[in-house]
Amino acid sequence: MKKLIILFISIFLLCGCTNKSYDGEINVLNWTSYIPYEIIRDFEKEYNIKVNYGTYSSNEELLAKISSSKEGTYDLIFPSDYMVELMIDRNMLDEIDISKIPNYSNINSLFLKQSFDIDNKYSLPFLAATTVITINRETIKDSIVSYNDLFSSKYENDIVLLDDQRIVIGMALQANGYSMNEIENDKLDKAKEWLLKLNKNVKAFDSDSPKTFLITKEVDLGVMWNAEAIIAKEQNDNIEIVYPTDGFAISLDNYTIVKGAKNKDNAYKFINYLLRSDVSKKITDEYPYINTGLYSKNVSDEELSNILYNGSYVKNIGMNIAAYDRIWAEIK
Amino acid sequence: MKKNSGFKSFFILPIIIYTFVLILLPIIYILFLSFCTSDSYGGILYNFTLDNYLNIFDMTYIKMLLKSSLIALVTTFICILISYPFALILRNKSEHIKNLTTKLIMVPFLTNSLIRTYGWIILLRKNGIINKFLTSLGIIAFPLNLMYNKLGIIIGMTYTLLPFMLLPVCSAVFEIDKSLIEAAKDLGAKPLQIFKNIILPQTISGVFNGSLMVFIPAIGYFFIADILGGGKTMIIGNLIKNQFLTARNWPFGSAIAIFLIIITFALVKVYKKLGGKMEELGGL
Repeated sequence: MKKLIILFISIFLLCGCTNKSYDGEINVLNWTSYIPYEIIRDFEKEYNIKVNYGTYSSNEELLAKISSSKEGTYDLIFPSDYMVELMIDRNMLDEIDISKIPNYSNINSLFLKQSFDIDNKYSLPFLAATTVITINRETIKDSIVSYNDLFSSKYENDIVLLDDQRIVIGMALQANGYSMNEIENDKLDKAKEWLLKLNKNVKAFDSDSPKTFLITKEVDLGVMWNAEAIIAKEQNDNIEIVYPTDGFAISLDNYTIVKGAKNKDNAYKFINYLLRSDVSKKITDEYPYINTGLYSKNVSDEELSNILYNGSYVKNIGMNIAAYDRIWAEIK
Repeated sequence: MKKNSGFKSFFILPIIIYTFVLILLPIIYILFLSFCTSDSYGGILYNFTLDNYLNIFDMTYIKMLLKSSLIALVTTFICILISYPFALILRNKSEHIKNLTTKLIMVPFLTNSLIRTYGWIILLRKNGIINKFLTSLGIIAFPLNLMYNKLGIIIGMTYTLLPFMLLPVCSAVFEIDKSLIEAAKDLGAKPLQIFKNIILPQTISGVFNGSLMVFIPAIGYFFIADILGGGKTMIIGNLIKNQFLTARNWPFGSAIAIFLIIITFALVKVYKKLGGKMEELGGL
């Protein structure tokens, strides 16, 4: 028994030792599969700061985690556009001091001054994504440029869509020429009719890994986030990626510092590190989202301005979400 | 004697605490939530309303409830169809084989059901093992749609929930007095008559017990509908999940959950009426 106690105490002490060797720590919450582990390890080595890294898989989950934990639990988080707006409204974020981030100069100004935080007081762009149409050209020869081209009876049971009501109903709204944040009932009804018509061509709704459906040739068409589409293309060169002419969803994730963060300086160091062009490049090489950097861009300026001009953000529509939820229940 | 009861309560106490904290309290909280309203961003406003319950009786949700129940009913029926022959064949085997088989039924529980469900994708998808096998033999020309539809959901549900039917049906069938069946045979009863007049009446409560254990999870297992149904068919479980995650309407989600609990109690009542023993349901 005594031996056991001594063993435990020594393990305890050893743990203490490893902790002591760091100069500080930082508590990060980020999306799953977003930063390669290697980058976090390199940062820890270079700055001697321990990164406590947690993940979440939706903005709502992030909101729940932040609002249910004590102030100061988390330092750095990566909410998307509409969640930034909401968190600013709820006074959950601290202002960002740009002077502490020398690599600020690597940010492509196209991504600054967005509607959800017009002066970038609380947020800086991290990575962007858009929805795209993904086509397997081995089997599909017809031209597809708009969501309305997906109706052909040739594509029965041949499409995968995201399992996300805002994105899918938003797409139906855009196909009818409306905004994807529409809340008027008659326009939503039209979107519903559109989706009911498309239903027989839809094989599945999947948000976890829609690329798998194209890679395994389960389907030949899909509407998914661009990073998924690019990975599918890496596996099958016959895949073509198209920005729909009706418009598409864009999502921008941001660096934000949580109100009452205890390790602010370390958070700035981490942001600065991630903004370094070589590090930033490594991230989007692994997870091919749209890089928001100036010296690390993976998408041409021309394509970027098209994306930002034609893409729309999903906006918080409050209680009107109930109407979307009903449509979702009706089409499924 | 006194010492013994103290000893007993020492071991029962954790279970009581467990039931109270992890089952009873959450249900009370859900019941409470179901009478609240939600604010514009998923917060909860504490003013009393019955709207959440009235909203369930919207045609959209009623249709979904019916669809969901139909899937669960078909699942239950298939489970019964598999369990009876299984139990009747096993009945005549030695005690050793009976024990071994019942243990084997439990083995899949050692693996997480989510992983087992993913396993089905490899078998059922368009270029999956079953379709490849059938096309290579020339039995079918084009791959069958075995999943990403209701068929996929029913396959997944049946697979996952079958043990809950097998075990009570087996134990009911094993209890039948052998001499009754022998006597019936001697008097010239046909197999169907034996089944109808002897086996069925004596096992019906076991079947109903199994049906409850299959039917109720089958309206709630949203992950099977998501994975094998391709997210195309929403069952009640998905609707509840969506209220808590995407629609951020916790009170409405709670109301549907309570509604399901009420249905469960109603079914248990029917079970009791049919002469079912409560202890066989796991002490409900």
